[in-house]
Amino acid sequence: MITQRRLDRAAYILFIALILLAPLVLGDFWVNRIAKFLVFGIVAVAVSLCWGYGGILNLGQGLFFGAGAYMLAMSLKLASATSMQQGSDHPVPDFMLWNADPGAPTELCCINRGSFLWLPFQWQWFGVVMGILLPVLLAGGLGLVVFRKRIAGVFVSVITLALVLLVRLVVIDAQPLTNGFNGLTDLGTFHVAGFGFDPYARATYYLVAGFLILTLVGSRLLVETRAGLILQAIRDDQNRARYLGFDVPIYQLFFFTVSAAISGLAGMLYVIVAEFASPTFMDLSFSITMVVWAALGGRASLLGACIGAILINVIAASISETATFVEAWKAIIGVVFVLVVLYLPRGLAGFAQDFGERLERRFADSGKTTTPGVIPQAQVPRGQAP
Amino acid sequence: MFDVIFIGLSLGSILLLVALGLAITYGAMGVINMAHGEMVMVGAYTTVMGGLWLHIGFLASLPLAFVITGLLGWAIERIVVRRLYGRLLDTLLATWGVAILLQQAVRLEFGLSFFGIHIRGLGPGLQNVKVPAWMTGVVSIGGDQVNIYRLFIILVTAALTFVTWLLMFRSDIGIQVRAITRNPRMAAACGIDVQRINALTFAYGSGLAGVAGVMMSGFKTVFPDMGSAMVVDGFMVVVVGGVGSLLGSVLSAGLLGQVNGGVAAVTNDILARAVVFGLVILIIIIKPTGLFSFKGR
Repeated sequence: MITQRRLDRAAYILFIALILLAPLVLGDFWVNRIAKFLVFGIVAVAVSLCWGYGGILNLGQGLFFGAGAYMLAMSLKLASATSMQQGSDHPVPDFMLWNADPGAPTELCCINRGSFLWLPFQWQWFGVVMGILLPVLLAGGLGLVVFRKRIAGVFVSVITLALVLLVRLVVIDAQPLTNGFNGLTDLGTFHVAGFGFDPYARATYYLVAGFLILTLVGSRLLVETRAGLILQAIRDDQNRARYLGFDVPIYQLFFFTVSAAISGLAGMLYVIVAEFASPTFMDLSFSITMVVWAALGGRASLLGACIGAILINVIAASISETATFVEAWKAIIGVVFVLVVLYLPRGLAGFAQDFGERLERRFADSGKTTTPGVIPQAQVPRGQAP
Repeated sequence: MFDVIFIGLSLGSILLLVALGLAITYGAMGVINMAHGEMVMVGAYTTVMGGLWLHIGFLASLPLAFVITGLLGWAIERIVVRRLYGRLLDTLLATWGVAILLQQAVRLEFGLSFFGIHIRGLGPGLQNVKVPAWMTGVVSIGGDQVNIYRLFIILVTAALTFVTWLLMFRSDIGIQVRAITRNPRMAAACGIDVQRINALTFAYGSGLAGVAGVMMSGFKTVFPDMGSAMVVDGFMVVVVGGVGSLLGSVLSAGLLGQVNGGVAAVTNDILARAVVFGLVILIIIIKPTGLFSFKGR
């Protein structure tokens, strides 16, 4: 076990060093690209926390990602030059002006019904706070009902899936407020104390990288606490944990909400790097893609899931340089994904873990019996009942 | 009033058409088949290709699509699903991979487009299907104008539901399927060839999706991604109706269809779908086992 732990720590340190050093050898274009992928890495950590450690397969992670993204994007939209075209000193999003009724006042308060909701977003930090708060409130409210009712497994997945599609439709339908299908584009830059985070700058990369490291290490420490262990116990056998006297819904709710907050954070960072927010964030395929990243990297390994997300996207981006292979890449992902679920349910991290165990056995005393590594229950086939 | 109910009935029958196959694969076998929508897509393309290459009509495509998607489903069961029984969420993930693969196979014309070979009817573009002239137009029933094609869909759905009911509740195979649903090991101990029955069941569910695809192609544009939205709808119908209950699926499809049609008549289609999703969430939260679920053991 000690070798295993050491290897684990070495992997974290190696990974952190790698992403910190990467900009030294990359051009501006790739720095921006990798920054996007690091954001996806943060999302994968959130998925792994919720699914790999909590056994809650959230098929609506995009809801929290989208909520975070839209909240910050609203602030950055108002900070954008395109919102100041009217010569007035109060910003109004350009799409609201295009669609305004003739004769409507060109003020944010009353240009259309509901536009007053945008008013507080004139302060960027309101958008930032809401970017975390809204996902937390959504997850908290949903989790409170779902986990108290002891809804588990696939039913949670269906509820989250229906919810993300519902919100997506509402956002598209509220065209005057959200610019519908087109989403929010032409955003301003994110400023902290007068310093602007240009999406192609090294500073933005390090902003994202910093938050990735923070999330990764923070989540890792979190799952090693007592609460984290109880969460894993709940994942392995909910009823047994309940009979042992643990308040199961509280733990599920807490980690579900943390996972949502991380996704919201990722959404905001994505807006800073990619300069747009759109309803595609809440597409079904995007939410499932997040799960795919985590599954390929290793659902029960935070670092594995994170690396899985980054690796897939880097490969996809390098391949899409040659246009003909873009579509073929999707097919390859499909095949790889089927193979991973069938033959490598613990993902790349499981691979690495087995390797570590083999090393450990070699170093172990021949007299002592080695303790087998902990195999997360989530991947072991469960009972027959659907 | 009547036309709103009729639209709702027609929407419900389309839902049921897609959900019927899922009700069998998910309800009876405990497999969340995310590739189900792609089976619908393959069925639709069968109609397109059948018209282009074999010059067979719309109606003749129905059995052809059933056979093709049935065989495809059988293969998927043998290669992928068979290894995943009892791992419900893993079936969801693996079949999602299969779904992407099927989509890309059609879009890339089985990879032939790399070699500059193009097959008429496949590829990333949109395809259209001509339905026979007598199916277009309207008839008046009791003074109200009714679209013949919608009526045709309702009839086909009713017929398929009846056949499925017969198979499940009035045939030897149906008894075996239901025994496996309740307890696969006990069923195996009683001498039922579980593997064979599972493969057949999965093939039949996929075949139903193929038939749904033919019907879809008559009023929707056919393109490689057309299935992904359908599988979600169908899945929700099954969960709301109660997993493993055929009657539940029928009634929940009717309910969701009516709600969809009713709300759409007052507001718009987008909001109507949102309301349906909201209703689904509400029902699952209030009654997670669905409206009609059998007592498992």
